[in-house]
Amino acid sequence: MDIMTILRRPAAASVISLIGVLLFYIVFGGVDLGKLSGAASWVNYAARIGIVALPVALLMISGEIDISIGAMIPAGAMTTAIIAGHYELPMIFAILGALTIGVVVGLFNGILAVRTSVPTLIITLGTLVAMQGIVLAGSKLLTGGASVPLTAPGWAKTIFGDFIWGGSHQVVIIWWLILAVVFWFIMHQSKYGNWIFAMGGDKVSARNAGIPVDRITILLFVGTATAASFVGMCHAILFNSAQVSGGMNDIFNIIVSVVVGGVLLTGGFGSIVGVFIGTLTFAIVIKGIDFTSIDRNWANLIIGVMLLLAVGMNETFRKKAMTAATKKKKG
Amino acid sequence: MTTQSSEQASGFSLGSLIRRPETGSLIGFIVVYVFFAILGGAVFLGAPGWSSWLNIAAEVGIIALPVGLLMISGEFDMSVGSVVPASSMMAAVLSGHYELPALVGILGGLGVGLLVGFVNGLIVTRTTIPSLIATIGMMFAVMGLTLGLAVLVKGSTSVSYVPDATSKQLLGTFIGGMFNVSIFWWVGFVAIYFFVLHLSPLGSWIFAIGGDRESARNAGIPTNKLTITLFMASGFGAAFVGIAQVMTYQAAQVAGGQSFIFNSIMCVVIGGVLLTGGAGSVIGILLGTMTFAVVNQGIFFASLDPNVGSIIIGALLLAAVLSNDTFRALAMNYATKKK
Amino acid sequence: MKLTNRFVASATATIVAACVAGSAMAADIYVIGGKPDDPFWSRVKKGAEDAGVVAESQGGSVTWLGPQNYDNLGPDAAELIRQAIDQGADAIVGPDWVPEAMDPAFEAVVEAGIPLVIYNAGGLEAADKLGALNYVGAVDYKSGYAAGEYQGNAGNLNGACVNTLPGAANIEAFCDGFNAGIESVGGTGSVLQLPATSFGDATAVAQAVRAHLLQNPEINALFAIGDADTNAAVSGIQQAGKSGEVSICGMNFNESILANIQAGTQACAIDQQGYQQGFFAVSILNNYVNYGVTIPTREILTGPGIIDASNVELVIEGVKAGAR
Repeated sequence: MDIMTILRRPAAASVISLIGVLLFYIVFGGVDLGKLSGAASWVNYAARIGIVALPVALLMISGEIDISIGAMIPAGAMTTAIIAGHYELPMIFAILGALTIGVVVGLFNGILAVRTSVPTLIITLGTLVAMQGIVLAGSKLLTGGASVPLTAPGWAKTIFGDFIWGGSHQVVIIWWLILAVVFWFIMHQSKYGNWIFAMGGDKVSARNAGIPVDRITILLFVGTATAASFVGMCHAILFNSAQVSGGMNDIFNIIVSVVVGGVLLTGGFGSIVGVFIGTLTFAIVIKGIDFTSIDRNWANLIIGVMLLLAVGMNETFRKKAMTAATKKKKG
Repeated sequence: MTTQSSEQASGFSLGSLIRRPETGSLIGFIVVYVFFAILGGAVFLGAPGWSSWLNIAAEVGIIALPVGLLMISGEFDMSVGSVVPASSMMAAVLSGHYELPALVGILGGLGVGLLVGFVNGLIVTRTTIPSLIATIGMMFAVMGLTLGLAVLVKGSTSVSYVPDATSKQLLGTFIGGMFNVSIFWWVGFVAIYFFVLHLSPLGSWIFAIGGDRESARNAGIPTNKLTITLFMASGFGAAFVGIAQVMTYQAAQVAGGQSFIFNSIMCVVIGGVLLTGGAGSVIGILLGTMTFAVVNQGIFFASLDPNVGSIIIGALLLAAVLSNDTFRALAMNYATKKK
Repeated sequence: MKLTNRFVASATATIVAACVAGSAMAADIYVIGGKPDDPFWSRVKKGAEDAGVVAESQGGSVTWLGPQNYDNLGPDAAELIRQAIDQGADAIVGPDWVPEAMDPAFEAVVEAGIPLVIYNAGGLEAADKLGALNYVGAVDYKSGYAAGEYQGNAGNLNGACVNTLPGAANIEAFCDGFNAGIESVGGTGSVLQLPATSFGDATAVAQAVRAHLLQNPEINALFAIGDADTNAAVSGIQQAGKSGEVSICGMNFNESILANIQAGTQACAIDQQGYQQGFFAVSILNNYVNYGVTIPTREILTGPGIIDASNVELVIEGVKAGAR
C-alpha cells in the first residue's frame, strides 16, 4: 500500500489528529507520555463517550443524527437509581428498566424518523427537551429530589461498575472494547454494514435494492438511545448515585468524536476504527490537557481548532479518494 | 394578538389559510396562551404578564430570526451560543475595563459577532464541511478564546461595566419599569427580516438556495455571498443580544449563552421552519418565538413545576414536526388539483 | 520517518525533564475544583495558584483539575480525583460535592498514602470520615443558613431561594440552608426552581424571578446563588416594581454586586471567600509535604461572611487592594 491509499481510508484523518494532538501536547505542553498512557482518566472518559459514539456513528453513516442521547445518559442513570436506590427493588429490575427506557425512546425516535419527512435533528431535539423535563419532573415527583443515592450488589458492580487492573480503570472500558469489536463486525464484515453504507449514500436506491431501510433506521435509533442509557446505568452503579442533568455537553462531545473519527455528517462514509480513534483523540484533548502545562482555560479552543482541522482533512482525503476512484474507472 | 391574527386572516379564504406555513404555529400559540391564561389568571393577562414573556421572546427572537433564515436556506448555526458571551465580554472589556467610550464597546461586540459569522460562512462555502459541524467547531473555539482572553486581560471570568445613560437608555432599560427596550429592537428586526425574506428579491434567493443550492447557483444567484451574509446576520443577532445583556445587567460573564443554541432552533421549528430547507416565514418564526416564551414564563404564573415546561416545549416541537407533514401534504394536494 | 524521530526525541526529552523535576524535594499538589469559566471558581483557582508560587519556588507545582461542565458533577469530580492519583500527586485538595460518588475516590487517595485536604464542600465531618488532614472552606448549607437568618432578622420573613440548576447537590444545599435559616427565626421558605433551558441566561432568570414575585406577592426575601443569578434577580425585582419591598441576598460577590449593595438594591452578599479556600488548602499541604508541619486548628472556616451596607466600603477597599 502506498501512502495515498492509506490516507484515503476513513480512519486516516483521525490517526493524524491523534498524532497531531499528542505532538502539540508534547511540544507545547511538555506532557509526560509515560504518565499519560498509564493514567485512567482519559481511557475512562473515552469509554463513556465511546459506547455512545459507536451507534451514533452507525446512525450518522446511515445519514441520520440523534441528539436525544444527551438526555438519555442521565435518564438511564436516574432510572437505575430510582428503581434500585429509592424503591430498593432488586438490581436486575433497575438494569432492565434503564435499558427499556432506552429502547422505548429509541423506538419513538425511529418511528417518527421513518414515518415523517422531518430531519432527525429536529425530531430528536424534541425528544431531548421532553426527556429532560420528564426525567427531572419524574424524579422530583417520585423521590422528591434531583439526586438519588443507591447501593449496588456485588455482582452488578463487578459487571457494570467496578475498577479493574487494580487501579482506576473502569470496567466500562471492557464493554467499550467488546462493543467496538461487535460494531466493527457489523459494519465491515456483515451485510448490515453494506446496507447502512448504502442507506447513507442514497436512501431511495437502497430501498429499491430491497434493503429494509425503515427497519434498520428504527434499529439504529434504538441502538443509540439504549447505548446512552446503558452508559448512564453503568455510571450510576459505579458511583453509587445519579443526578439529573441536561446533558447538553455530551451531545456535542459525542458528535465531535464521531466526526473527528472520519464519519461524514451527510452519511455514507466512515469506519469503526476511525470512530474508535476519534473518541480516543477527543478524550486525550479533554483529559490530557491536565497532564500538560497548558492552562485548562484553552481546552475548548483546542477542541474547536482540532475539530475544524480534522474535518478539513477528512474532506480533502475523501475528495482524493473520489478522484482516485474516478481515475481508476477511466483507466 | 388575536386581533392581529384575524386581520391577517381576513384577506385569505379558510382553505388557503390552513395551508399557510404559519397556521400551525398560530394555532400552537393560541392554545398555549389560552392554557396559561386560564392557569395564570389576571396577572398573566395584564401588562406584567405580557412584558414578562415578551422580554424573554425579544432576546431569543433576535437570534431566532437570522437562525430561521439560515435554516430556510438549509444551514445551521450552533456558534450563536458562544457569540452571546463573547460579545458581551468584548463590550465590557473595552468599555468597562479599558474605559473606552460605549460606542467602541458596542462596535467591538458587534464586530465579534460579524467576524465569527464571516468565518463560519467562509468555512461553509469554501469547503464541503457541513454547517452543523463547522459551527460546532467555531462554538468551541470562540468559547475557549473568550475564556482564555478574559482571564489574560482581566484576570477573572466576569467583568462589570456601568454603561452611560444614553447607551443604557437605548439598549438596556425597562420601559415603564417592565418592558425591556430590546422588545422594540426585536420588532424592528422582525420588520427588517420580513422585508428581506418576503418582499425583497433576496428572500426568493434564500428560498431558492434552501430548495436546491446547485440550481440556485446556476440560476445566477450569488449563493456563497448570500450564505456568508446570512451567517454574519446570525452572528450579529447573537452579538446584539450579548450587548443588550451587558447593558441591562451591567456585568459580562464568560459562561452562559449555551441555552440560546437550542432555544433559538426550537423557536424556529415551532414556528414552522424545518431543516428540509426552502420553506418558512418570518411571521411563523415570530409566532414560534412567542409560543416558546409564553411556555417558559407561563409556568411561573401558573405555579407549575418548571420541568413541565420542558415537557410542553418538547411536545410542541413534536407536534410542529408532525403537523409539518400534514400541512405539506395538504399544500401538495391542493397544488396538484390546481394543475 | 522524520516525524517519528521528532516524536521520540521530544518524548524522551520531556520524560527526562519530568524525572529530574520529580526527584527534587517538592510537592506536586493537585487541586480539584469547579469549571474554569465559573466566576467563583476562577477566584479559588487564583488563590490556589498564588499559594502555588511558594510551592513552585521550592520545586513543586500546583495543577488545577476541573470538569468541563456540571452535567455529571459527582462522577466527573471522582474521575478527576483518581486522575490526580494517577498523575503522581504528592498531595490532593478536593471538594466533597457528592459524597456517594466521590468518597470511594477520596478513600483511594488516603489508601495511597497521599495527604488530602477537603475544601469548599463537605465540612469537617467529611474530612474526618475520609481521613483528610483538614477542612478548609465555608459550608454551603451554613452559607444559605446565614442568608436566611439575615433576611429573617431584618424582618423579611417570607423567603424564596432561586435555583437555576435543579439537581446540583451544592445548589440544593444552599437552598435547604436558606429555608432552614429563615425558618429558624420564624419565617417561611420556598424554592423557585427554573427549567434547565434557562441556565446561564440572565434574562430568563430575571423574568422568572419577576413572574414569581408577581404571582406570589407575599414573598419579601430572596436568595440567589452566584453573581450572575443575583444580578439577574435584582433586575427581576426592579421589573416587578418591588424595589425596596423585596430584599435580596446573594451568594458570592463581584464589582457589580458591591455596587448593588452600595446603591441599596441588594441587601447582602454571603461571602465564602473562595480565594482563601484555594490559598489555604494548598499552603497547608505544601508545608505538610515539605516540612511535615500541620495546623492543629481543624475546620478552617473561610465563611460565611456577610457583606451589607454596613461594611461594603471596607470590602471595596479590599477589592482595590487586590486582596478580594
